[in-house]
Amino acid sequence: METKKTSNKKVVLGLIALVAVIAVLGIAYAVFGPKTTEGAKAITIEVIDNEQKSEVYELNTDAEYLRQALEEAKAVGLTVTGTESEYGLTIITVNGVTADFNVDSAYWSITVNGEYGMLGADSQPVTDGDEFQLVYTVY
Amino acid sequence: MDTGLKMKKRQFFAGWEVTPKDIALIGMMIAVIEVCKRALDFLPNVELVTFWVIMFTLFLGKKAVYGVIGFVLIEGLVFGFHVWWIMYLYIWPALVVITLIFRKNESALFWAIISGLFGFLFGAAGSIPYIFIGTMDGGLGNGFYTAFSWWITGIPWDFIHGIANFVIMLVLYMPIRKVMKMMQ
Repeated sequence: METKKTSNKKVVLGLIALVAVIAVLGIAYAVFGPKTTEGAKAITIEVIDNEQKSEVYELNTDAEYLRQALEEAKAVGLTVTGTESEYGLTIITVNGVTADFNVDSAYWSITVNGEYGMLGADSQPVTDGDEFQLVYTVY
Repeated sequence: MDTGLKMKKRQFFAGWEVTPKDIALIGMMIAVIEVCKRALDFLPNVELVTFWVIMFTLFLGKKAVYGVIGFVLIEGLVFGFHVWWIMYLYIWPALVVITLIFRKNESALFWAIISGLFGFLFGAAGSIPYIFIGTMDGGLGNGFYTAFSWWITGIPWDFIHGIANFVIMLVLYMPIRKVMKMMQ
């Protein structure tokens, strides 16, 4: 009888220990575990259109190149369309504003952290903290 | 020296001799553990090693540690002597010791709890070698950070391990214990 009682006590203590360990593991993982919902790089994309109106989009992304980041930015309201060339995407229309070089010598230029971009959207790398601008530019 | 302590010391050092029957049983123990481990290798962290180490310790007593040493050596020879192997060196013998402490218990639920706890804490116990690896790389602080990160990343796997261990023991304890008692 006494042994049975001791055994039951051990089972109850064991169950308490088990619940405690599960709770500690769950809390530790919730607090310190990897957060995978957001992209690792925080960037901004500013659009300056033909009327010099500015619109800024903030984005958390894992994109390696600007092209992918622009596509992901659809989720925050940015729409970019264009034509494909051997150099990748040539941006033609941003948020409904079209820059057609053949019609009015206008194009969408890309600036990276305030500098005129030397690369197209497909080859422009994205790093954390980058500030991109898509600027309606007349040649 | 205190008489009680003397007796405990005598108890610890006695009974390690191995008979031909023990050799056969320990060989069987290693074979059973290895076969079951390989059979379940396709399911990450679902294993019968914990179950068998506990059951064989209840059956063979402290001599089960010989079987555990054999199993750990075979694992190293087959899969290579990596960091996890260092962890195996203490984690499985520790399970034998834990089982010996509670060996008088006959409740399936109790052993399921022990087995489950062992699974849930496997990652935490296994992170200890990373304290030393991290320390060699960048001091004691880095050592603890490395071990902590390693443990945290593996927590979802510890959950699978703990739940699987609990269920396996709860289901298999009674039938296997019955067979083992018949053999004794």
